[in-house]
Amino acid sequence: MKNKIYIGLLLIAFIFQGSILQVEASQINYKSAEFKAVASQFACTCGCGQDHYECDPNTCNLTTEFKKDLVEMMNKGWDKDKIRKYYVNIYGEEILTSPEKSGFSLMAWVLPFVVLGAAAAALFIIIRKWVKKRGAEEEVVTEYENTEDEVEGEILSSMIDEERKKYL
Amino acid sequence: MFLFANATIYIGLAIAIYSLLIITLGISTKNQKFVNSGKGGLIALFVCAALAMLSLFYLLATSQFQYEYVHDYTSSELPIIYKLTALWAGNAGSLLLWTFFLTLYMIMIVFSRKMKGNPMVPYISAILLANAVFFYFILGFVAKPFLLLDTVPIEGKGLNPMLQNPGMIIHPVTLYLGYVGLAIPFAFAMAALILKNVDDFWIKATRRWTIIAWLFLSLGNIFGGQWAYVELGWGGYWAWDPVENASFMPWLTATAFLHSVMIQERKNMLKIWNISLIIVSYALTLFGTFLVRSGVLTSVHAFANSNLGLYFLIFMAVAVILALYVLMSRYNMLKRSAGEFQSFVSKESSFLVNNLLLVGAAFAVFWGTIFPLVSEAVRGTKVTVGLPFFNKVEAPILLSMMFVMAVCPMLAWQRSTVKNLRKNFMMPAILAVLGMILMVVLGIQKAWAVIGYGVIILLLITHYLEFYRGVKARRKMTKETPFVALYRLMIRNRRRYGGYIVHLGIAFITMGIIGSQNYNLETMKTVSLGQSIEIKDYRLNYERLDQKREGINDIVYADITVFKNGKKLGSYQPEKVFYGNWEQPSSEVAIISSLKEDLYIVLSAWEDDGKATFVVKVNPMMNWLWFGSFMIVIGALFAVWNGKYGNVTPRYTGVRSEVS
Repeated sequence: MKNKIYIGLLLIAFIFQGSILQVEASQINYKSAEFKAVASQFACTCGCGQDHYECDPNTCNLTTEFKKDLVEMMNKGWDKDKIRKYYVNIYGEEILTSPEKSGFSLMAWVLPFVVLGAAAAALFIIIRKWVKKRGAEEEVVTEYENTEDEVEGEILSSMIDEERKKYL
Repeated sequence: MFLFANATIYIGLAIAIYSLLIITLGISTKNQKFVNSGKGGLIALFVCAALAMLSLFYLLATSQFQYEYVHDYTSSELPIIYKLTALWAGNAGSLLLWTFFLTLYMIMIVFSRKMKGNPMVPYISAILLANAVFFYFILGFVAKPFLLLDTVPIEGKGLNPMLQNPGMIIHPVTLYLGYVGLAIPFAFAMAALILKNVDDFWIKATRRWTIIAWLFLSLGNIFGGQWAYVELGWGGYWAWDPVENASFMPWLTATAFLHSVMIQERKNMLKIWNISLIIVSYALTLFGTFLVRSGVLTSVHAFANSNLGLYFLIFMAVAVILALYVLMSRYNMLKRSAGEFQSFVSKESSFLVNNLLLVGAAFAVFWGTIFPLVSEAVRGTKVTVGLPFFNKVEAPILLSMMFVMAVCPMLAWQRSTVKNLRKNFMMPAILAVLGMILMVVLGIQKAWAVIGYGVIILLLITHYLEFYRGVKARRKMTKETPFVALYRLMIRNRRRYGGYIVHLGIAFITMGIIGSQNYNLETMKTVSLGQSIEIKDYRLNYERLDQKREGINDIVYADITVFKNGKKLGSYQPEKVFYGNWEQPSSEVAIISSLKEDLYIVLSAWEDDGKATFVVKVNPMMNWLWFGSFMIVIGALFAVWNGKYGNVTPRYTGVRSEVS
């Protein structure tokens, strides 16, 4: 009997889950974190240069409608990836604030680091080439043992230079 | 007036062409008279540009709407200051300003006492004159500032309200001073190469110019960010817009240049790299102008679409090709005199890593900026590359840069020993880690914030130690008091300590960026009169909604009383301004600023029954950002100050020529 009651309750919960969620979701704040995660994916095309999270719905009709649509989709239980896919299918990748991380657009994300990595490797090779090959460390003519000595050395030489200018 | 104003442009163009030709002829025939004639032309050119500026100022101030430019960018009720600053609101006027700065810089360089008798002068003049010819050509035939309309309109279109802000008065001017300023080291570098001078004279001679150009570029970006923050009602200050990127890229490469020249000065190395960096920096200034004026990319900054961008692209291409040709033709000479490194771990190496990261950051910005074009060209699909991309790609690169900045002062020139590293880094590293642990305990737990602030703690400690050790060493020898020792230490080595002040400024800016990006709060609420909005410790009581008229503008404003932890902070009035001659209204935000955070209130919308919608944001550490910017200015000025111990331009010891 108990089990039947539980099943019955579960069924009722299942039937009414949509309306329960709807009540909660319809209160989605345009400045909430969950809305930000969804809306900041899409670029507003009103000319403001902002995304649909930032663009002010009170001055931009475009974003007002867009935001309403987003809330509707969120109310339906769509997650940010599904909403993203939906808009990309309609408007293409241009609607996103940043390129997709797949296909050709992946190049946008990867290339800066590939170039940086290659340049770092090249720099390593160049420095290695420049570093004089000296056997023992003692042979290295080091100007100063450490920075403190270096600072002292510089101060001293500047003072000597100053005096030299004064008297010579 | 029409004839006079236009004459300043066309005579200017004629003089620029004449001066370029006669100086080139003077150089090739080694005839000093020809060179002197060209130098005289420079003065005439400057006079023409100054008169053209004065003419446009006069036309704007007196609202002569028969002129297209005056009609397009001003209206009779505009305050006089904005009538005048409308000079750089449009294409033609801003290019005139650019030309004026270019001619001004030319005069300052060519007739400076230090350059007297220097054989590089005719070459520098010729290179800068080629720029002037281009700009005068544009002013004469493409973007004409003194074009008459067929009819005389009664009223002008007015100035975009967004541009009616003090930030907009200064932002373009400083940016142009920075852009044009980078032409100076470029011209010196080219002149040195043409003359086969492979020493570092050109670097030392233009050191101050480069820092000044860098300072103006920094100021341009800072004022732009500050303007966006107070004027756009968006609460942000940097949007990675293509045009912002266009001014950030040369800033990055110029910063790299300022560091790498120290290796050339000290070790006679990196000559090709330094020249390449200055060519790239100069080219990027033109690339930025191409972006702004061509309309190839969507940008809130873009000027009216025109074919002007194409001219800049062609000019940039020609300039870069010629510069690379000159560089390649001297490649062997430059390569021959290369020095060597003694160790992987040294200040020199850290400067190279610094260059790698700065140029890498510039490349990432460049790539992101042009990627929409690349994507469209390759697969016919347009993409938008916006803020999330740049934040994600730039954050690790620039944070690594901050780490190098923190470590570099502690490394010795030539070679740092393990003992040296341990001695210098153990304590700062331990303190930085302790600081990070403390942050986590206190609730700052976002990874970027903890790592970023940890790196900044390290930077602050290493820089403090740098000052401390300098003072200690000085006191050991001179027995001066600490403050006297600090003062003398700094003024006797302006570049180094000016640079450190700039580093500290960058650290403050970074703290502001991390704080405001990671811990900002915001809400948007519609409230009735008498109701409140609560955010963090603040309570905002909505007291009144009213309307007033200022000139031809209608202003709707709300009276808000702000309380913090129950204590009244005051009454504030966020506004929405409706312009008599502009379709789009603008928000005048109310900002309550403190060291800890800004409360940012935007009046967004209202209804007839008095209900109003407000966007309220709490932006942490914004003042740190502005304070850091101020430190950058102080540091850069300190570095270039010409006092008794300022940097002295060295005596020219390069190739002699019969003309100077």
